[in-house]
Amino acid sequence: MALLQISEPGESTAPHQHRFAVGIDLGTTNSLVATQRSGEAVCLADEQGRKLLPSVVHFGESGTLVGSEAIALQASDPLNTVASIKRLMGRASEDLTRLGNTLPYDIVTPEGSNVPRIHTRSGDFSAVEVSAEILKVLAHRASLSLGGELDGVVITVPAYFDDAQRQATRDAATLAGLKLYRLLNEPTAAAVAYGLDQNNDGTVAVYDLGGGTFDISILRLNKGVFEVLATGGDSSLGGDDMDHAIGEWIITAAGFVDVDAGLARRILIEARKAKEALTLAESVDLLIEDEQHNWTGTLSREAFDELVRSLVTRTLTACRRAMRDAGVKSSEIDEIIMVGGSTRVPLVQSMVGELFARRPMCDLDPDQVVALGAAIQADVLAGNKPDSDMLLLDVLPLSLGIETMGGLSEKIISRNTAIPVARAQEFTTFKDGQTAMSIHVVQGEREVVSDCRSLARFELRGFPPMTAGAARIRVTYQVDADGLMSVTAEEITSGVAAEIVVKPSYGLTDVEIESMLRASMEHAREDIELRMLKEQQVEASRVIEAIDAALAVDGELLLNPQERAQIAEHRDALAAAGNAASAGELKRLIRAVEEASEFYVERRMNYSVQQVLTGKQIDEVDV
Amino acid sequence: MQSPDLSQNYFELFGLKPVFAIDPVRLKTAQQRLQASFHPDRHVNDSDRDRRLSVQVTSWINQAFDTLQDPVKRSKYLLEISGAEIPDDSTTTSDVDFLMEQIELREAVEACRDAPDGLEQCHRIEDKLTQRAAELANEFVACFAEEDLPGSVTISRKMQFIQRIQQQLDELQFELEGR
Repeated sequence: MALLQISEPGESTAPHQHRFAVGIDLGTTNSLVATQRSGEAVCLADEQGRKLLPSVVHFGESGTLVGSEAIALQASDPLNTVASIKRLMGRASEDLTRLGNTLPYDIVTPEGSNVPRIHTRSGDFSAVEVSAEILKVLAHRASLSLGGELDGVVITVPAYFDDAQRQATRDAATLAGLKLYRLLNEPTAAAVAYGLDQNNDGTVAVYDLGGGTFDISILRLNKGVFEVLATGGDSSLGGDDMDHAIGEWIITAAGFVDVDAGLARRILIEARKAKEALTLAESVDLLIEDEQHNWTGTLSREAFDELVRSLVTRTLTACRRAMRDAGVKSSEIDEIIMVGGSTRVPLVQSMVGELFARRPMCDLDPDQVVALGAAIQADVLAGNKPDSDMLLLDVLPLSLGIETMGGLSEKIISRNTAIPVARAQEFTTFKDGQTAMSIHVVQGEREVVSDCRSLARFELRGFPPMTAGAARIRVTYQVDADGLMSVTAEEITSGVAAEIVVKPSYGLTDVEIESMLRASMEHAREDIELRMLKEQQVEASRVIEAIDAALAVDGELLLNPQERAQIAEHRDALAAAGNAASAGELKRLIRAVEEASEFYVERRMNYSVQQVLTGKQIDEVDV
Repeated sequence: MQSPDLSQNYFELFGLKPVFAIDPVRLKTAQQRLQASFHPDRHVNDSDRDRRLSVQVTSWINQAFDTLQDPVKRSKYLLEISGAEIPDDSTTTSDVDFLMEQIELREAVEACRDAPDGLEQCHRIEDKLTQRAAELANEFVACFAEEDLPGSVTISRKMQFIQRIQQQLDELQFELEGR
C-alpha cells in the first residue's frame, strides 16, 4: 500500500513472496516460538522435540547456555545462572532492593546509569541483554525449522507492562538482531488464538496469570476485529510469588536460619514442584536435603490454598476494576479464557469461576495460547495474508501524566484510552529569553508523582528567545500501537521545532544500546555499516514503489503537470543512485523525495479518508 | 513532518450530521472502517514516512471517536465548532437551583459510604442520575436546535457535573463492593 493508499480488506494487493514470520512469547518462566504453517499456528520444537524453552540463562566458562541445560546448573552455580529475568525488565536498582531477598544475584549498577546489571563470571549483564540471549535461541530455532532467515517477529508482553518495560523488550529484540513488527499484549494474543479457533463473536475476559505477571483484559470480538475495552493487572504478581509463599512456609516449618543463595534456590525448586503436584494431588511430601540440612514435611492442598489466597484475591480486585473500566457487568461476559501456567492452580480456577459465575475455559493449552496468537498476527503483519481482515485494537494500560508544581501528576492520557493516541498541551515561558524547558513524564494512576513510575525527563531546547509569556510551546505526547510513548515539541508562533534530549529514568539510552550492539558483533563496524546500507536500500525501493503506485492511481487527478514533473525529478534521482550510493547519500535522496511530495501526500490523505466513507456509506450519510 | 491537515471536523470524518443525537452504532462502524484502512498494522511493510503517517492518522481517528462517543465531550465539541464561547471549568454558576442540586447530590453520595445499606442507596442515586442525564440531553438538543448557544453552554456544563457525580458514585460502588 503506497502512501497510505486505501485498499479494502479482502482486496488483494500485488502478490509478494512469502515472508518467514514468527510469534514469540518471552515469558518469565518459559518462552516459546510459534509460526503459522499450512493455515494453522504451531509451536516450534527444538531438536529434542521440546517446545517450552525455560527462560533461564547460564553464563559458563565455555559459553552461554539457555533453557533446560541452564536450569540443570541453577542449584550448583546460582550466581551465574539467571532466571525470571522478565521481572527485571525496565526496572531500576531501587526496585530490585524491594525484590531483594527473592533475587539471589550480585547486582551492580554502573555509575551514571540507572540500569542494574547482574554480575556474572562473563561480565555484567542488563536484563535487556539476558532477554536477548533467550530471543536469539528462539530465533535460531525458528530459522532452522522454517529453513530460512526470519523477516520479522511479534513479541508478546503483559498488557500491564509500562512504557519502560515495553521499551526494554523492544531493545532486547534489537540486540538479538530481530525486526520487531509489533509488541503484542499477551491477553490480546490469547484472544486471537481463541477467537479464530472458535470463530465466536462476543465479549471475553482473558485472565492471564503467568510466572511473574498478572493481566486481565476485557475484549470485544466482532468479525475479525479484536477490540480491547479495558485492561488491568499487576506486573509483579505471578506463580513465582506462590513459590515464594511456599518457600517461606518451608523455611519457617523447617526452622532454617542463614539461608544462602544455594539453599534458597533448592527451597524454591522444591516449592515449585509442590505447587505443581498440588494441581492434582490433595497433599504432597517435601524434601530438602544437602550436606547441612535434611528436612521432610507435608503440604496439604488446603494449607497451600491458604498460603496463596491473598494473592488470588488481589487478582480478583483487578478483574472487577477492569470490568468497571470496560463498562461491562460479569453477566455480560460470554467467555473467560485462562492463560498462563499458574491458572492450573485449582484455587485460581474456583475463585475466578465464582467471580464471573461461569466455568473458565481451558480448552487451549494455557502455556502455548499466547505464542500461537502472536504467530497468527505475525503472519498477517508480514503480509502473508492479504485477504485477512483481522485487526487488533488495543489500549494504554496505565495513565500517562506530567509532573506539575508540588510534585503532583497531571494526567495527559488516561488509562484504557485506545491507542495509537496523541495529545497536545500548550505551555508558555516564565522568564524573558527562556530557550529551554524540561518535562518529567510519569506513568500510573496515583496523584503524587513519587507514587507513579518515572518514565523520562525530556529537555526541550532551542526555542527562539522571547519575552516571558510570549512563547507558545506545544508539546505533543504520542503513544504508538506498541504502547510506546514519544514526545515532540514546537514553538507555535515561530514554527521552530524543539530539540529534545531524552533521559530515560530506568531504560537504556540509545548510546548504550548501540554500544551493546557493537560489542555483541564480531567485526562490529563493518556489520553495522553494512546493515545501515541495506536498510537504506530497502527504504529507497519502498519509497520509489510507493510514489510510482500512487502516481499511477491518482497522479493525473490530484497533480498538475509541473507538480508531477517536480516529484518525478527527485524520484528519478533516487532511482538513479541505485545500489552504488552510500547509506548517507541514500538517506539524503529519500528525504528529498519525501519533501518534494509532502503536499501530494496530504492531498491523498484527505482524498482517501473521504473515499473510505463516501461511496460506501452515501445512503447512511444522507439519512 | 506535519500531521496531515484533514480539514474535516469529527462529524464529517465519520460521515455524521453535526448534531448531538448521533447513532452510536454508525459512529462505531465508521470508526472501525477507518481503522481498518489506516491502522499501523496495515502499514508494517511501508516506508518510514507512511508508518509515521498511519500512527498520526489513527491517533486522530481515535481522538475524534473518543470525543464523539462521550455525550459531554460531544456537546462541548459541537458548541466549539458552532462558534460558541466556552468558559473554562473554573467559572462558577450563578444558577441557585442547580447549585442546590449539586450540593444535595454530593451529600447523598457521601452518605452512602457509611450507610449499612450503602450499595442499595448507590443504586437508587444511580437511577436518578441516569434519568437526570437523559433529561439534560433532551434539553440540550432542544436548546441547540433553537440556536441558543449561551443556553446550550449552560446545559453542557450541567451535563458535565452530572457525569462527574456519576463517576464518583461509580468509584464508591467499586469500593463498597470490595468490602
